[in-house]
Amino acid sequence: MLQPLNPVNRAVKNLGFMIALISSIAGCVLSLSILLSGEPLHVDVLQTRMFGTIAIHADRLSAFFLGTISFLAAVVSIYSLGYATEFLQRRNMVWLVFLYHAFLLSMAGVVMAGHTVLFLFVWEVMSLTTYFLINYDHEDPASRRAAFLYVVMTHIGTAFLVVMFMILYVYTGSFSFEAFTSAGPRLPAVAQSLIFLCATIGFGIKAGIIPFHIWLPEAHPAAPSNISALMSGVMIKTGIYGMVRVFFDFLGPEIPEWWGILILILAVTSSVLGVLYALMEHDLKRLLAFHSIENIGIILMGVGAALLFSSLGNKTLAAIALIAGLYHVLNHAMFKGLLFLGAGSVLHGTRSRNIEELGGLIKKMPWTSFFFLIGAVAISGLPPLNGFVSEWLTFQALLLGFHISDLAVKIAVPVTVALLALTGALAAACFVKAFGITFLGLPRSDHAEHAHESSPTMITAMGLLAMACVVFGVAPGLVVSALDPLASSLLGVNLSGQVALNGGMLLVPQSTSTSIAPPVLTALLMAIIVVPLLGGYLIGGKLRKRVAMTWACGLQKIGPQMQYTATGFSKPIRMIFSNIYRATHEIEISEETSPYFRASITYELKTESVFLKHLYEPVYNFIIVSARMVRRIQTGHVQSYLAYIFITLVLLLLFAR
Amino acid sequence: MNNVFGVIVISSFQLLLVLASAPLISGIIKKTKARFQRRRGASVVQPYFDLAKLLRKEVVVSPVASWLFRITPYLVFASTLVIALLVPTVVTPVPLHWIGDIITVIYLFALGRFFVALVGLDTGSAFGGLGSSREMSVASIIEPAMMLAIFTAAVTAGSTNLSIIVARLSSTPVAMLNPAHLLAFSGLFIVTIAETGRVPVDNPATHLELTMIHEAMILEYSGRYLALIEWASQMKLVVFLALLSNMFFPVGIATTWSPWALLVGSAAFFCKIIVLAVIVAVVESTNAKLRLFRVPEFLMVAFILSFLALILFFIIGA
Amino acid sequence: MGIIHLSTIGLLIDIFAAAILVTAVLIVSSRSLVFYIRLFALQSFFLGAVALLVVLGYGETHILIAAFLTIAVKAIALPMVLTRVIERIQVRKEIEFSINITASLLLCAGMVILSDSVAQSILSSQRGEAPAVSRVLSVSIAMMLIGLFIMMTRKKALTQIIGLLTMENGVFLSGLSITYGMPLIVEVGIFFDIMIAVLILGVFVFRINKTFETISIDSLRNLRH
Repeated sequence: MLQPLNPVNRAVKNLGFMIALISSIAGCVLSLSILLSGEPLHVDVLQTRMFGTIAIHADRLSAFFLGTISFLAAVVSIYSLGYATEFLQRRNMVWLVFLYHAFLLSMAGVVMAGHTVLFLFVWEVMSLTTYFLINYDHEDPASRRAAFLYVVMTHIGTAFLVVMFMILYVYTGSFSFEAFTSAGPRLPAVAQSLIFLCATIGFGIKAGIIPFHIWLPEAHPAAPSNISALMSGVMIKTGIYGMVRVFFDFLGPEIPEWWGILILILAVTSSVLGVLYALMEHDLKRLLAFHSIENIGIILMGVGAALLFSSLGNKTLAAIALIAGLYHVLNHAMFKGLLFLGAGSVLHGTRSRNIEELGGLIKKMPWTSFFFLIGAVAISGLPPLNGFVSEWLTFQALLLGFHISDLAVKIAVPVTVALLALTGALAAACFVKAFGITFLGLPRSDHAEHAHESSPTMITAMGLLAMACVVFGVAPGLVVSALDPLASSLLGVNLSGQVALNGGMLLVPQSTSTSIAPPVLTALLMAIIVVPLLGGYLIGGKLRKRVAMTWACGLQKIGPQMQYTATGFSKPIRMIFSNIYRATHEIEISEETSPYFRASITYELKTESVFLKHLYEPVYNFIIVSARMVRRIQTGHVQSYLAYIFITLVLLLLFAR
Repeated sequence: MNNVFGVIVISSFQLLLVLASAPLISGIIKKTKARFQRRRGASVVQPYFDLAKLLRKEVVVSPVASWLFRITPYLVFASTLVIALLVPTVVTPVPLHWIGDIITVIYLFALGRFFVALVGLDTGSAFGGLGSSREMSVASIIEPAMMLAIFTAAVTAGSTNLSIIVARLSSTPVAMLNPAHLLAFSGLFIVTIAETGRVPVDNPATHLELTMIHEAMILEYSGRYLALIEWASQMKLVVFLALLSNMFFPVGIATTWSPWALLVGSAAFFCKIIVLAVIVAVVESTNAKLRLFRVPEFLMVAFILSFLALILFFIIGA
Repeated sequence: MGIIHLSTIGLLIDIFAAAILVTAVLIVSSRSLVFYIRLFALQSFFLGAVALLVVLGYGETHILIAAFLTIAVKAIALPMVLTRVIERIQVRKEIEFSINITASLLLCAGMVILSDSVAQSILSSQRGEAPAVSRVLSVSIAMMLIGLFIMMTRKKALTQIIGLLTMENGVFLSGLSITYGMPLIVEVGIFFDIMIAVLILGVFVFRINKTFETISIDSLRNLRH
């Protein structure tokens, strides 16, 4: 279906993404105005007899998520101007632009909806548009499978959400969120817990927490990269938004202790397993998708800790934990967006996502690699970038919880702290692999050899996100002062000036004895580079350089095949965590004349997903088996079907008299 | 003393102290090891000459290498210097303690390691990749172990600020005898051995591909770049010894900025880290290098010890 | 006993209890049989020390005998016997694990957490002020679990003995922590029980080794045929 390159297609692309850019900027402005003024936006959309007044209601929480979504959407729109050029020849641009706009609008709608009907409608629109976007490359069977898996999982999630809203309706007699907020805390305990569980599963599927994650590593790589950036950066965050909205706004603040524990368990499982699975991936986009699972885990650590502390009555600490979680929401949107856009550029420049075929791109794509490096440093939680600040806040919130004398806290907090530390270290290992194998060394294939740098719009977009990573890391006061009133209002405490001091220079959680000053730290790090530069010059004089080839163990020349591979890189970690991976490998050696000279060696490695094998496969098999059983009563005769209906009717009448 | 002036003076003093003492400590360890092997060994000041020589020599750069190769030595050196400003050595609280806490210190180490590991992959050498892969795997266990070990002390003191931990513990010596601290100390000692690339985890004196970790990553470095990297790792050792000694035996550390207190503090600091350096050398001399895939088990002991320390804090200590 | 302050006694007991826990963890982390025996000797020594401290702090003199028996038998005699056995059979390493060391260590940490929560619930049901020594109850439960775990996951007969002995140390410690030790007659009875058990097992190890040329207890399954 190769279409001739027509000007209309190009015009649609340019116009479409420009409009998206402008409306996203408008979204940013709206969100900022709500965040700064604190006045919620309330618009009545429609009067209905059945459901009451359907309204848009955006408070600070909505505004924060709206701002995150709009900012990333604006950047991705710039990126798409260049990136979508490659689809011009083979795809219908109107369809892409339509889906893109519908996707953005639905995400904004989800966080601003103030009524059940509106919420479920935009929620479904979001699911459907992403379904079509994942399926954009519909010739590829993998894309079709991924899209199908996504749509099945997300509908299971929606089913739980519908149940949740029904329970809320039964008790409050209203569909509007304001009624839920006022009546939620007075619900009976059982109903609250049911709502909690439904929300955890329903929103958890969208957020991609383990064990509901199986759609995520399939769907994110299948979509075009600009869409993956949006999906991974902000769409999965709508799940987090839903959880925070339901847990703290609807149900809070008096909640049972086990909620927090359950969320923390899900959080640590997601983060540790997410990063461990990411380490085994060689597909750049799949690797990033698994990291999204990891980061959702880190966000949920903050949310879970907030629930736990809130249930024990320590609202101030809960607010700090919630700030940490929400801060990570923003940070993850920035660096994951950046990394996915970077992966898109790599894909654009080399036509390959398999990092085993890449290498040496830092010379061919200098800008992309520089920005990708910033993203990699940020996601590894290293100072002075933004990932560090939110991880630091999470650590602090957890450590301050040590002084609560409660058995569950005493066990949950050390375990969470330990696993958060483990996650951070493993993430750094994973990004050394991802960046090192992709961008450094010698090119491992022709694709990588002939890579080209991306178009200026794509580079500008990545640069903007990289700048955001730096700014949110160096000046955390900006974000914290916006999150402060948000967390305070959700938890009913006054936090003003307790976390960020001296105009955002210092971050101080609760007690004044612990602090970090990211701007000063950054300045110090930059300034102190003078010492080695000057010291080296004073002792050794001017630096003299000689260029000589890398040592090749005595061989003539170093070749790309002599470099470490991604599989080799992750081997020690595969051995350390062999119980989790259960890896099996096969080596196939074809010999020709002598055992010392081998024609080829094939190495195949498989790791096993515990959840696929022990959770999803049994469920799937059960459904198939029960479907077979049901098929027996399916005879093909219309009369017998009528008989079934008749029998059901009679039974219903008997029992439901 | 003027406040800003004092901050600058004390900070520069601390910086110079760590910069200047780092090669000496490494010399002492080498000397002790030599004596264990019935050799006379090089003088303890030999590392100074080595560094001066390397700083003067030209650097050899591979054409495969990128700009990362050239900035990493400076970045690693600078991040280690910042760490040296944040960790209490002779005086507590250090003047700039409000800039960063223990988590910052650990993550600054991680920053340096991240870039060195990238450089291992930068030149396209098989050795470099091997080193980075091993280093990052080892780090993935010791970094959390280190955090947990220090958090045990942090929880006792009620703050993750290193200066405050040291100050609180030195004012209440009974708290030091907490059993959780003993566990944390043993955990942190193993971490020190692993982080600074010593036997039985790594061997700083080998270039054998079967065993080397840190040396493999920096194999392509030469001249001034190598000098900076080596010096940075010597400083890293001093910082770790300072952490071990001041977190768990904060005896004699200065609490004011008077010259006399600083003098006593420096003397106490040198005594403590020299004793610890000799212990490290004894451990190195009396143990065999572990097989590479036995290393994680050894490190896991550190992780579990630190974890138990944190748990024990509730069970018996507190 | 006014010589040493009670809080100091409490602190020392805590430290020794921590040390006992460390030895148990180290046993799990190691694969050398000689190291197992040394660690066990050390562990029994610390246990004896805890018992002595209980005598000092709370004046329970009947534990004195048990304390000396612990040091004499478990810290000195049994390790010597077991070292002899190792020298005779020339087996030095435990190489057969059903769970690898890394995972075992993680599970151990889990067991410590579990035993802490169990101990807390036991202690909270008790009325009145709990004495300092009762805080080691969680360590003792952890020891029993770890001992059982060693027996479950290691295959050499000698390691099984070490596991059994670790469990026994745990039992002794829990006796100390709850009731300042069991009645003397029970203690002495258990001691002889253990002595005999170890001697018999030692002989068994020797015999198994001679018959099957291995001390892996898996070979015992061949006896069914």
